[in-house]
Amino acid sequence: MNAKERVINQLLGKEVDRPACYSGMGNVTTAGLEQFGYKFARVHGDAKMMADTAASSHKLFGFECAIVPYDLCLEAEAIGCVMNPYEQVDQLLYPTIKEKVCHSEDEMETFPIPDDVASRGRVPLVCEAIRLLQADIGSEVAIGTYVLGPFTLAGQLMDLNDLFKLSFKSPAKVNAMLDRLSEATIKIARALRDAGADYICIREMGATTDVLSPKVFQKVIFPHLKKVRDALADVPTILHICGGTNKIMNILKDVGCNAISVETKNDLAKSREDIGYEPLLFGNVDAYNILVTAAPEDVEKAVLAALEGSCDSIWPSCDIWPTAPIENLKAMTETVKKYGAEKWVRKNR
Amino acid sequence: MSNEKEILQKLRDGVVEYDNDMVIEASNEALAQGIDAEKAIFDGLVAGIEEIGRLYELEEIFVPEMLLAADAMYAGLNILKPHMEKKGDGGTKGHVIMGVVQGDVHDIGKNIVKMMFDVAGFEVHDLGRDVPLEDFIEEQLNTNSDLVCLSAMMTTTMVGMPEIIRKLKEKNPKVKIMIGGAPVNENLASQWGADGYAKDANNAGCY
Ligand code: B12
Repeated sequence: MNAKERVINQLLGKEVDRPACYSGMGNVTTAGLEQFGYKFARVHGDAKMMADTAASSHKLFGFECAIVPYDLCLEAEAIGCVMNPYEQVDQLLYPTIKEKVCHSEDEMETFPIPDDVASRGRVPLVCEAIRLLQADIGSEVAIGTYVLGPFTLAGQLMDLNDLFKLSFKSPAKVNAMLDRLSEATIKIARALRDAGADYICIREMGATTDVLSPKVFQKVIFPHLKKVRDALADVPTILHICGGTNKIMNILKDVGCNAISVETKNDLAKSREDIGYEPLLFGNVDAYNILVTAAPEDVEKAVLAALEGSCDSIWPSCDIWPTAPIENLKAMTETVKKYGAEKWVRKNR
Repeated sequence: MSNEKEILQKLRDGVVEYDNDMVIEASNEALAQGIDAEKAIFDGLVAGIEEIGRLYELEEIFVPEMLLAADAMYAGLNILKPHMEKKGDGGTKGHVIMGVVQGDVHDIGKNIVKMMFDVAGFEVHDLGRDVPLEDFIEEQLNTNSDLVCLSAMMTTTMVGMPEIIRKLKEKNPKVKIMIGGAPVNENLASQWGADGYAKDANNAGCY
């Protein structure tokens, strides 16, 4: 069974030999960039550079997927925001939105969302990168991509403080906006799927319980995640939330994605108490404190802990941090290969 | 005077219940009754925001609620603060510059820290997020602030801090610099020559 079959079959609920080691979030590394002599700031705007660097993670350390893109600006740009890739800065920085499209509470219902969002901004470019990846390594590993959850997307389009306050004070207003946005998300996700994405991660990273109450999550975040998921029924989806998630595991389960991905803050045993052992749960190796700054032995320990904690595939807790040493990333994939089948809680229960 | 007690209670409750109108009404009543503005701020508004801080720490309320309480508090501060400043220079404890470093949009934490400085009686110059190095320096020269607070939530962006600290100190050796944000810690702060570090907004206030 190769990596691609392992990843896809598991997501579809079919039998596989062991947990996979992959991700649904950015997977670019400094080593991968250096190999080609690419500058991070330029990779976001070039399909070939994007595909080359995404594929390098499989080639350099045996990651069982390749994922594009690396930034969180794709949908916002297609809707009309301006993105800053920091070409002028030497330091490696992640792109940000510098011009928003919704400037006030009143504009939430009226700011235009183009009908053809899926052919605007860099959406065609990321589609092209997916096609290049399928041609390059698509027979061996799964090719994934991600979209933002509607709430996190809204945070890219308008002042986040206002969005937070309104979520509590006027949920109906926010729900109306998120309903419009979820249509855009669905269109973009469909285009990525049509380009050949094997799975799609839905990242609602702005909605952790570190910032939002479970009540608001249920009322304002959940309905739109559900809508997006239901519209993408023919493609495997994974729902990822950063930060604290224990208080909302049941809600995440109700969204109905093929799997849920959580980060290091999640108490896995507690999660299983809440949602049982049926749903696929991915995670939760700390993308910085383990993968970047710790030693390979610590990586092995963290992977084993995640397996023993009942993770069904091993995912970094967020984007792979580019400066993560290749030895650490190798330790991650090797440990899953070596101990995955044996330690897999699902098989041992 | 029981009336004073009631008004202070109303200021506090207005903040805790995110009720701007109630706070505005109580602030005007406080002034009309001749209650000392500083007292109204500290025993009314600040008492309310402290309760909010406590509930936030207990995870009974979250960031949206905190921001709404802050709005109510600012509504009161806007009315009461000018009456504090009339008493000579006593109005402000000092000027603080605050911002999230270049390349970093994570500003939820910074906004909470800013609020703590506002209630503690500082004049805060908020540069926002994704702030280029030069802007911190320029603002410091323009306002002659005593304290500069830098926030970073990513390990890629926190590495920009040492240079900002060095340049700020170069221009003005007396300026104090405080840093914070999840990836930063006490050790890094002293290694980079910052004067202070705080784990969260509550501790930042004590500085
Ligand atoms: C919300 C969030 C976002 C939102 C940010 C919205 C906003 N305007 O702030 C969005 C969705 C936009 C976002 C984007 C990204 N994010 Co983000 N995000 C988070 C998340 C989930 C929560 C952060 C938060 O607000 N916490 C709540 C606040 C209240 O806490 P706080 O910020 O820590 O602040 C407290 C203290 O730190 C302290 N403090 C803070 N500043 C200061 C300053 C001073 C002077 C003092 C004294 C104290 C102090 O006091 C505060 C209050 O108590 C974290 C994960 C997490 N759980 O932390 C990831 C996280 C920070 N993000 C991460 C990443 C990777 C990204 C992206 C790069 C992803 C990408 N592929 O593009 C982009 C960044 C783009 C950019 N260039 O900036 C990583 C960073 C990893 C690393 N090694 O550094 C994290 C840690 C997730 C993870 N698990 O890996 N993100």
